[in-house]
Amino acid sequence: MKARELMRRDLTSVEPDTPVSEVIYLMEQAGLSAIPVLDDEGVLVGVISERDIIRAALPGYLEMLHSASFLPNLNQLSKRLKEMAPEPVSKYMNPDVIFVHPDDEDLQIADTLIRNELKQLPVVDDQGHLVGVIRRIDLLYRLS
Amino acid sequence: MILTVTLNPTLDKFYWVDHLPLSLERVEEEILIRAKKSDSSAGGKGINVSIFLACMGVETVAMGFLAGHTGQIILRDVLKRGATANFVWIEGENRTNVTIIERGKEYHPVKIHEEGPHIPERAVEVFLRKYSRMLKRAEYVVLGGALPPGIPVDFYRRLVRIAKDQGVRTVVHAGRDALREAIPEGPYFVKPDVREEAEVGGLPARTEEEIIQAGKRAVEQGVEICLISHHVTGDILITREGVWDLEARVPLTKYKNLVGADDALVAGVLYRLVEGDTVLDAVRFGMAAAIASAEIEPKLCLSRSAIELEMREVEVRRKEGG
Repeated sequence: MKARELMRRDLTSVEPDTPVSEVIYLMEQAGLSAIPVLDDEGVLVGVISERDIIRAALPGYLEMLHSASFLPNLNQLSKRLKEMAPEPVSKYMNPDVIFVHPDDEDLQIADTLIRNELKQLPVVDDQGHLVGVIRRIDLLYRLS
Repeated sequence: MILTVTLNPTLDKFYWVDHLPLSLERVEEEILIRAKKSDSSAGGKGINVSIFLACMGVETVAMGFLAGHTGQIILRDVLKRGATANFVWIEGENRTNVTIIERGKEYHPVKIHEEGPHIPERAVEVFLRKYSRMLKRAEYVVLGGALPPGIPVDFYRRLVRIAKDQGVRTVVHAGRDALREAIPEGPYFVKPDVREEAEVGGLPARTEEEIIQAGKRAVEQGVEICLISHHVTGDILITREGVWDLEARVPLTKYKNLVGADDALVAGVLYRLVEGDTVLDAVRFGMAAAIASAEIEPKLCLSRSAIELEMREVEVRRKEGG
């Protein structure tokens, strides 16, 4: 099965200058854990995930400790999120996006998802335009 | 690719009942109507056009505003039917439009339409950026349906202008003020329905003569295809080349669900235009798609062979022109 048959044809996305507050709002409204970032031409230039935002909002040493259990409460996280709210998403997105093409095969897609521990993969055409997204659950559902 | 815009999407909910006791003369505590059958699907004129086109194998992207739990259901249905979705998410809840169809009176459905959520200014900005971006990949754009609260009455006019600047043909599949405002911008194809409002572009359209005059005025303003619905089974086509009367030779009693038939018409015309048909042949196919859709309980007939069969029932008569 090819990516074009597996993908969700949902182009929900943001632009590099979209404020972080709008990204969080969109994630909540649309029920998404990661959102592609597109430039003016519709070309994929990054992905912003819940994980990227949390990582940016937490103090750096927590990442080294791989734990948030040292935090006394969430006040610091909340304060940092409020500071980040008006900032452009380009500052926090992952610009090194792993993606697949519409004619890529399911085996390659599964391998890419597993090897990179991704929840979803953008699908882009030859010009780099986003044409869909494949979530892990889409693959599991179609294979089961 | 055909882009469709539905600013006020809906979850269309249908109930089929044996009898509809609508008289309120007999005062009762409550009226309970048991539905024999129910169904629901994503709707709004643009979305219906996208669903039809996707099923015919045409690449299509549906745009507009989604909100809340109903928005999630609409999105899921749009994606399931093979269309691509590119919506702006807003707060609130998309509307649900209810249609009650009584057995034996299928051509007189009872409808309850909600108003839809208010669209904030910021969401309009986001939409316009997405719209301009998607136009770069579009051949046609369909602007369909009612304007939700918060959207100015001249919004379709603005969308037509942006599309024309990018060389994209526009279809205004709407009525009332939204259409009146858009016509002077010269959209490629308009489909007024004078049963909803007896005017086209500000001109009265009560009689056949008035309808033709109003259509001709729209063509003078730059419209290439003006297809005016004036009764359940009849449309008048006005182009620069002439005027045609199209009649579906199907008795009203054959109709099972009229909701969505006019969207099948617009989608059918577009489908055949992108396939390279002449305007007249495309309109004939569109009309057949509308008849085929009205003759079944689901909103849209998505069977090409069933539509082609109905083409025999479409009578085309030239009224004017060479």
